[in-house]
Amino acid sequence: MEVSLASHHRIASTVNQFLAYLGGGLLLVSLGWFQGELDRQQDRTAVQIEGLGQLPKGEYLRPALLGYHHLGADILWLKLLQVIGNKRNSADEYEWMYHTLDVLTTLDPQYAYAYYAGGVILGDLANRPDLANRLLEKGTEANPTIWNIPFLLGYNHYFLLGDPEKGAKYIMRAASLPDHPAYLPGLATRMAAEAGNPETALAFLDARLRETQDPEMREFFVNRMKEVMIERDIHMLERAVTAYQTAHRSLPATLQALVAEGVLSGLPLEPFGGEYRLDAMTGSVSSSTHSERLRTFYKRKQASVALLPKIEPAYVFPRTWE
Amino acid sequence: MKVLSIALNTFRENLRDKLLYNLLVFALLMIGSSLLLMRLTLGEFHRLLLDVGLGSINIFGVLIAIFVGIGLVNKEIEKKTIYTIVSKPVARYQFLVGKYLGLTITLFVNTLIMAGGLLLVLVAQEVPIDGMLFKALGLIFIEFMVITAVALLCSTFTSATLSAIFTLAAYVIGHLTADLKTFGAKMGEGGQMLLNGLYYVLPNLERFNLKGHVIHHLEVSGSDLLLIVAYGLIYVTFLLVSASIIFQRRDFR
Repeated sequence: MEVSLASHHRIASTVNQFLAYLGGGLLLVSLGWFQGELDRQQDRTAVQIEGLGQLPKGEYLRPALLGYHHLGADILWLKLLQVIGNKRNSADEYEWMYHTLDVLTTLDPQYAYAYYAGGVILGDLANRPDLANRLLEKGTEANPTIWNIPFLLGYNHYFLLGDPEKGAKYIMRAASLPDHPAYLPGLATRMAAEAGNPETALAFLDARLRETQDPEMREFFVNRMKEVMIERDIHMLERAVTAYQTAHRSLPATLQALVAEGVLSGLPLEPFGGEYRLDAMTGSVSSSTHSERLRTFYKRKQASVALLPKIEPAYVFPRTWE
Repeated sequence: MKVLSIALNTFRENLRDKLLYNLLVFALLMIGSSLLLMRLTLGEFHRLLLDVGLGSINIFGVLIAIFVGIGLVNKEIEKKTIYTIVSKPVARYQFLVGKYLGLTITLFVNTLIMAGGLLLVLVAQEVPIDGMLFKALGLIFIEFMVITAVALLCSTFTSATLSAIFTLAAYVIGHLTADLKTFGAKMGEGGQMLLNGLYYVLPNLERFNLKGHVIHHLEVSGSDLLLIVAYGLIYVTFLLVSASIIFQRRDFR
């Protein structure tokens, strides 16, 4: 009798133990399920970006980090990278990214890479040269000896804002700083001398390409170079058409006629693998791959916010914690 | 001699503290985790390794200094082992200094282990190591010494929990004292005098923070470094003298 009672107890405790483990396992699984369900309910990246938008100003955050502000800047940088990883970000998301970069560079004003990468993202990808330049100006103030920050400022002024004069000024400043690449002084002088020339634009883009490691950005620059080449070729072809017209008092039927008549020595290759077409009625030339013309080679098809009529102040973020 | 034997005894006693090992393991895990974080970042990989490494060494060292430091005197009183010591021909200040040195040795060994972990990570990732890293580590150690002295001072007059709170508060305030001066400049004459007084009396722990210099390869002149070290050591001496004065008058019941 006693033996069976003892074994009964043993079985009961084993069962209890088993039930406890089972319960624990079930709780763990349900926790995972809840977490996943909550993630599905909310758009995680939107939450992440909003989180960045709600960062307090760097001036307030810095003392709160008790001397670990460099580490804080690293963590913000990691968080920002998760958001930038998305292919498309909306307009206010770029404002929030600017805000994060502003906080990050207040935490660590010497974080040179963050200024440069932030300038590329805001300028080239977000088409917000106003924000990019504000960040980069802050960067040159804090790091007066780093050449690639004024270099990018020069690029933004030249390409995105269409101001070759200012662009040349910044490139010259970059060329006077230590460790600058050998081609910079030549580029700066050419830019100042012949602002608005596609060859200068190509040289500049080539310079950017050499400084960029990121495959996505490299592709971006290669495409931009090809677009400028199309613009250069179309200019050249249309000049030839005009020359043909003055000599023959009629428009050529095809572009090949220009070569046949000796106006051109050969037709340029379309860089995207398409061809150049002549509208025999108007005499205008277009590319088969890029039907839309760039008005001027340095302005983008999509008008930059900074080029639209100005509503002051352009940047009003953050609104909530002043 | 008496001081040294108390110090060595304290060191041996500290080595038996489980808390110490927990914190040390966490610090090493954090330093190691920078290898994972490094894969997520873009741009300056070295920077992340150094920042996470130095940050972990600093914060875990401070936690060890606080949570082991507060128990130094209190434990002796609680376990009544203090009676056997004070009844011997040992001055109370010798007892305190011995206890302090013991924990300092423990912290030194810990810092060496954590720095070894960081160096291992840096060497494995082929990060160039310059002299500034060792200067920064040295000053982090001086910060530990100051924090330990604050913890010891607190534990001479109050309970372990309160000591921990006071020392943590001192650590936080120590990193904010530069702002006291800024606030003072914006206040009236009375407020300015008060805040300036606090600024000079409270420890300015931000002085021992050269973590940013390491990642940005900035230099600190030898004379500045010497001044900072002297500041730290004088502060420690001041705290130990204050602790001795309080401890001298204390009744153990």
